[in-house]
Formats: sequence, C-alpha cells, structure tokens
Amino acid sequence: MTTIGFIARNALRNKRRFILSVSSVAMSLFLLVTLQVALRELTNPINDEGSTLRIIVRNKVSLAQPLPARQLATIERIPGVAAVTPFSYFGGLYKGDEKFTSFAQFAVDPVRANELLSDAKVPAEQMKAWVADRTSAVVGKMTAERYKLKIGDRMQFTGQIYPCDLEFKIAGIYEGTADDRNVFFHHKYLDESLGNPGTVGTWWVKAASAEEATLITDRINKAFANTSAEVRAETERAFQLGFVSMWANIKILIGGISVVVVFALLLVTVSTMSMAIRERFRELAVLKALGFRRRELFAFILAESFGLATLGAVFGAGGAWCLYRVLDMQTLSSGMFVMFEVTPQMMALAFSIAAVLGLLSAAAPMIGVARTSVVQGLKTLD
Amino acid sequence: MSVPNIVTIRELSKEYRQGEINVTALNNVSLDIAQGEFLTLMGPSGSGKSTLLHIIAGIDRPTRGVCRVQDIDLTKLDESGLADWRNQNVGFVFQTFNLIPVLTAFENVELPLLLTRLNAKRRREQVNTALELVGLAERQKHLPRQLSGGQEQRVAIARALVTDPKLIVADEPTGNLDSNSAQEVLGILQMLSRQIGKTVIMVTHDPKAAAFGSRSIHLEKGELTN
Repeated sequence: MTTIGFIARNALRNKRRFILSVSSVAMSLFLLVTLQVALRELTNPINDEGSTLRIIVRNKVSLAQPLPARQLATIERIPGVAAVTPFSYFGGLYKGDEKFTSFAQFAVDPVRANELLSDAKVPAEQMKAWVADRTSAVVGKMTAERYKLKIGDRMQFTGQIYPCDLEFKIAGIYEGTADDRNVFFHHKYLDESLGNPGTVGTWWVKAASAEEATLITDRINKAFANTSAEVRAETERAFQLGFVSMWANIKILIGGISVVVVFALLLVTVSTMSMAIRERFRELAVLKALGFRRRELFAFILAESFGLATLGAVFGAGGAWCLYRVLDMQTLSSGMFVMFEVTPQMMALAFSIAAVLGLLSAAAPMIGVARTSVVQGLKTLD
Repeated sequence: MSVPNIVTIRELSKEYRQGEINVTALNNVSLDIAQGEFLTLMGPSGSGKSTLLHIIAGIDRPTRGVCRVQDIDLTKLDESGLADWRNQNVGFVFQTFNLIPVLTAFENVELPLLLTRLNAKRRREQVNTALELVGLAERQKHLPRQLSGGQEQRVAIARALVTDPKLIVADEPTGNLDSNSAQEVLGILQMLSRQIGKTVIMVTHDPKAAAFGSRSIHLEKGELTN
C-alpha cells in the first residue's frame, strides 16, 4: 500500500457521495467556463485580416444620424484612402413573419465594397451578376444554409428603420469572413426606394496601409470639421469596442452569476469534505495514536479535498473544452456565437478555482483535526 | 538480577475541567512497570485507569508529575516528538478494534510502517510476521467487515506489533468480544509478554481477563489502592 493509495481508498469509501461531489464541482465549473466563453464571445469583437485596414466614418452626433452622400468625393481625395463605400444598415425583418432577424443587411456600392471586404469570397460570375443587377444581393453562406437559399431565390424584407420594404434576388453567396451571415445589396436600390434622399448611414474606408489607418482617421475628421455634418472616423476595432461598451450590464450580470456559481460550489465542497472528515474523526485519532503527525493528517485531508476539486475541474472544464471543440456552436446558435472557444486562460481560471476550492474546503476539517487530541478523537464516536 | 523498569511514574496527577467543575482523574500516582511485565489496570468506571494508560502511551499529558518510558520523559516531548515516539515504541489495542474499514487486514497492519523508511519488501515481511504471530496469515486480504470480532482484534494486535515496539497498551481489548475470542486475544497478549518479552499494559474490568496478567493494580478515584 502506498500513501496515495491510502488517500484514494479514503476518498472512494463512499462512492455515491464522491461521484455526486465530483459531479457538482464538474457541473459548476462547466457552467462557469460556458459563461466565460459566452462573455468573451459577446464582448470580444472578431478580427479578420481586413479589419486592421478598415475605417468606419459615422455622424459625429450619433450613429443613427445619416451622413450626406456628397461626402464621398471629399473622402476619396484624402491621402492614404484606398477605397470607400457607403455602408448603410437596413435592419429589415426577413419575410415579415419573423419577430427577429438574426442577420444584418447592408446597402453598399458593390464595386467599391468588393475592394473593402476582401475577406468575403464571391465567385467572379456571381460578383458580376450582383454588380449588373441593382435589385440583387449577395448573401452570407451561413444565412443561405440556414434558410436553404440558393442563387436566383428572392428575399423580402420589411423595413424597420427605413420606411420602405425591399425585395432582392440572390446573385451570389459569399464566405470567408469571420461572420458569414450578412446580406449586402446596392445602395442605389435603397436610395431609389427612399426617393433619393442623398444620405448614407456610414462610410467604410479602406486605408492603403495599416500604419496609415490612424492618420487617415484624423484626416477624415479634420476634413469635415465645422461642416453641417461633422463625422467621427475610427478604426473598425475602435468602432466594435464602442458597441461592446453597451454590453457592460451583461458583463456584470455574467460576472455576478459566475461569482454565485463559485460560491455555491465552495459551500458544496466544504460541506462534503466536512462530512467526510467528521465521519472519520475516530480513524484520524487512531492514525494520530499510531504516530501520524498533524502535518501528515493535513496532507491526507488536503490531498483528498484537492483531488476531488481537481477531478471536478478535469470533468467540468475539460468537458467544456472537448464539447465546444466538437460542437458547431455557430450552427447550433444560428450564428449568434461564432467561435465559442474555450481559451487556455479559461482553463487556467477553472483549475485555479478548483485548487482554491480544494484548499478552502480542507481548512475547516484540518482545524478540527488539529484542535482535537487523540483521546478526544477516540471518545468522539465511541 | 532485577529486571529494569520500562515505565517509571512519580507523583503523577491529571486534572481537567468538565464545564464548571475541576475533575481529578489521577492523584499523585507513583508506579514502576518492569520490562516484559503483563500489567493489568483494574478499577471501576471513572477510576482513572484509562487516563493512566493514555499518559503512559503518550496520547495524553499529565497535569503534574513525571512519566518516564524507556528513560524518556514524555512530558518533555512536543506533539511531533510524541507522535514519532509512539510510532516507534508503543503498540495500541483498542476495545473497538479501530481498524480502517476500507483497508484489508494486511494494509491495516502495514499502516504504522508507512511512517518508517522501510521499503515495500521489508514492510511485507514484517506484516506477514505479525499476522502469522496472531494466526491470521490466511486472512490478510480480508476487509475488517469480513472478519469476526476476535479476528479483528487479532489484526489490531498485529498492527500494534508490526513496528516491534517494547510496549503494548490495550484498553479493554476483550470488552467487545465473546468469551472464546476473549480467551484467544488474552492468550496472544500473554504470549507476547512471556515469550517475546513485550511489556503489556491492559485496562480491564474483568477479573478473569486480569488473571492473564503477571501483576494487577487497582485504581479508585484516581489513586492506587494496592
């Protein structure tokens, strides 16, 4: 018999309790990791290779305020600007029978947008067809698969922001971006439907190089300073982080739930360990009588508690890691979650929590053992 | 030639508080126990016999007085020192056997040896010797619940013997046994004293059990009466 074997025998003496305890730790850590993954997904914008070059120009007053279409010529002339396209969020309701549409629709200039959205891969003939037909659109692969759409099908949208309904013919299906869900259509088509108001939602600008991107944002901001439509140009990353800041309450909520999960877990583990040790108080007194010192008994308790928590972490955090690698969360969540990846930091967090749990849950039984003399221990359960 | 003393007790007292009351468990007890002796401690409940046994075995401390075992003053040892001393010098036999239920007979006997530097082979040899001595070599793979009370107590005696201590203390070792098993256990303790030279100190209520000893002393209200 080895010391480890002795600890394992003790830990497994009540198998049902052991399994239930490990399961409770595993489930809690699985939940914790899942919450962390979801939080990361919601608050961490996805960066694709083109995002370092893209600049978003919006009305300085608010994103909801349109910009004059005449700004296009000025932006194009700014040094370092490689391409620019109008980029207006349509926000329509697909088919009119859904309460919520999980994908966005953007009005763009197809030719200019093609230069900007270089990550989106559209076959040449489909691109040609899209450019040629101003009532056509290109659809992201995920949306096409979700709604079983194919080239030539028609999509109808009920305007929620703009006072018009639109119908597109699908000219192409794109893929290759970090989020292949959106629909892109001709800005001209939107303009015509609205009676040519001469406005756009935002401008999307492509910088000639990543180094110049910051300089270009300053140049664009200065170009429209003191005009009737001042702009706020910022890199795509900064723009996305602006959106993320709106998730602050969600972050607090998820953080709060995570703390509650960990605290509940602590109570369960402390209770389990206390119960397990209380049942063996006389045995521990016998071990003391046989010559085992306090530190050896502490080591037994700590190893048992630590083992239980770590095993829970292996099943819980490890299970989450395996599960989210296997599951296609993008499809399962209808595109709401794109990556849903358990990072090494999350695994480290889960195992650290397990380690702390192991330590804390061993503390009370260890204090009990330290305070109890051999004679008291032998009398306790006699 | 006189046999040297293994235990020397001088003016030993033990007091403890029970709520608001001060209880005197032992009062000025002086006693010598010779090496190889089979001493039985008798007396009514609460007479202090178990307390005296616990102090001799190093699991309790006196309030006053001296308790020297093998020329070591136990009152001078700290917790850790006492634990080491117990492991090397004392074997315990309890009334309720106190075997670890998840360990086999072999593993229960091996338990005190985990604190030594013996390798697995040497440990196995010593455990086998101890189990053979109590006649349970064939039962070494049995769990305590698969053994009778008498067999459990014999395993406990083997556990007490396995580190080859000079002193074996037994606190009412036959209290939970039928008369046949009790005879067996007492016979083994007597054999350990007479044939192997172990010093056995046994607490008992039973005069028949005390008859197995080489000397019997009585305690009453914490004092020796003979």
